[in-house]
Order: sequence, then C-alpha cells, then structure tokens
Amino acid sequence: MNRVAIEKKVLSENDQVALRLRTALTDLGALSLNFIGSPGAGKTALLERTLQLLPYGTRAAVLTGDIQTENDANRLRRYGFPVKQITTSGACHLDARMVERHLGNWLDDGLDLLLIENVGNLVCPTSYDLGEDAKVVVLSVAEGEDKPLKYPGIFRKAELMLLNKVDLLPYVPFKPELARENARGIHPGIDIIETSCTTSFGFDHWLKWIAVRAEQKKASAKSFTELTSA
Amino acid sequence: MHEMGIANSVLEAVEKELQRYPGHRAAKVGLRIGEFAGVDSDSLEFCFEALVTGTPWEPLQLEITLCRVEQGRRGDELELAYVELDELQEAVA
Repeated sequence: MNRVAIEKKVLSENDQVALRLRTALTDLGALSLNFIGSPGAGKTALLERTLQLLPYGTRAAVLTGDIQTENDANRLRRYGFPVKQITTSGACHLDARMVERHLGNWLDDGLDLLLIENVGNLVCPTSYDLGEDAKVVVLSVAEGEDKPLKYPGIFRKAELMLLNKVDLLPYVPFKPELARENARGIHPGIDIIETSCTTSFGFDHWLKWIAVRAEQKKASAKSFTELTSA
Repeated sequence: MHEMGIANSVLEAVEKELQRYPGHRAAKVGLRIGEFAGVDSDSLEFCFEALVTGTPWEPLQLEITLCRVEQGRRGDELELAYVELDELQEAVA
C-alpha cells in the first residue's frame, strides 16, 4: 500500500473554468454577481426591478438557472437586456461550465454587469464558484429569521444579504433585527440591504452598492491592463 | 442534494491521479470536508458507494475527515487529501 498526498480541491475542474471566466470578465471590467436564495425568496422579481432601474446605458446581461422551464427568462427578457435560461434538468445548482457555455458571445461586445440567478437552493450552489465577484444571498421576510443559522455556508460566503419583501413586514411576525443579528453572527462583515420589489424600497441603496462594486471592478481591470501591457 | 456530482468529481480526480501511477489501482481515497462546505458526508458516502459498486472501481473506499473552523481553516474545505494505491501485480498474486 502506497499513500500519495494529493491536496487539491475536489471541484478543481469547476474552479479552473471559474478562473477562466473571472479572468475574461476582469479583462472587460465587468462585474459579475451570483444570486442565491430559497425558491420563492424573490430572486427573479429582484432582478426584474434591478434591470428596470439600472442607470441608462448600462450593458447588463442575465443568466437564470432553473431545473425546468423558460419562465424566468421570459419574465426577465421584457427589460431589453440579453437573457438566457439555463435549465439544469434536475441539477440543484449552476456550475462554471454551464455559465461559460451559455455566455456565448456576450463578452465580445463588452459588458458592464453580469447577473446570474442560481437555482433556488441555499445549500448546493454555495460549493460552486461561477467566476463571480460576489455572491448575493436573498432572504425574504416570508421565511424564518434563523435561515442564516440553518444554512451558515451561504451566509458566510455571501458578501451581501438582500432582505427582501420588506413591504410584507406589517403582515408577518418576521423580526428584521433578529435576522440581521443572526447573519452577522455567522458573518460579521456581511453587508445587509432591505428591499421590496413591490414598492422599490431600498433599491437606491442596492443600486448604489452595485455602482460602487462596478466602479472597483473597472478600476481593477484598468490597473490589470496597465500591469500586463507595461 | 449535489453529493452525487461531488462523488463523481472525486472519482474523476482519482482517475487523473492514477494516470501518474501506471500499474496501480486505487484502494482508498481521503477527503477533507469543512463544516460549512455544504456537503453532507452520509449522503456523499451513499452516493460514492452507489457509483463504485459493480464497477472496476470496486472495492475503492472513501475516508472522510470533517474539519471545523479553527486556526487557519476556512470551514468550506472540500479537498482531496490523499489516495492509497495498490500495485496491480500484488493484487493478481
């Protein structure tokens, strides 16, 4: 018997594709966000409202993952941006290869913002790097405040938590402060923004968050180009 | 829920490793899983067994080491630690 140390990630194949995606997106200065949340948290509605309110001229594109149907892509297409549905036929998450395959020639024409809506699930998508700049976890007030405690993996990895459907707060027993406390207990540095896709509450704050991150990405792309051309 | 895919990735990685050691077969593979990796070890063991049973991989074993967040550990590890190899001749003799 001969034991050989390997010391590599199980998903290193996925990570290689993710790295290739990240490099291509960084070259363009495009910000990429990976939206993860339970089914029904409001991910698609959130993207719809975001597309509607993006500053004029933003070159955005959307990939939306579901196990079956084109329904989400049909909803998202109404806003005039390129949208592609990724149907996973049973897989509970998106992987980097699916993203790469569906991007097609979107990167050729330049891009500022890539929004990726993952399959509704708080567990499996957490393991797969899609070459994104940040994971954004969507939690709605129709769920429990203890979701961050029950599914710590995604709340640790997400840079931002969108606490969605806050227009329902008068009708549900959800305590936003407790949800914040739970999320910060798992990940002290997580950003939290409250949103409502019905009233657009919080979208000024959320769009500002995107703008700051997009600016940082553009700046890093610029310094990257200077570095490689020097 | 995605443990079948993970189990498959483990076998792919072992296969790749075996290419570097001609004349060997894998007897055991060691995995390291962090407490926040989002991977259930019972489910992974079940999937791994299902993939291996009745194939030339048999009787390949899986050993999982769970790791908690402590010094230097991120808690989201999902890593191949090692593979134990047997020489094929020995197996025949």
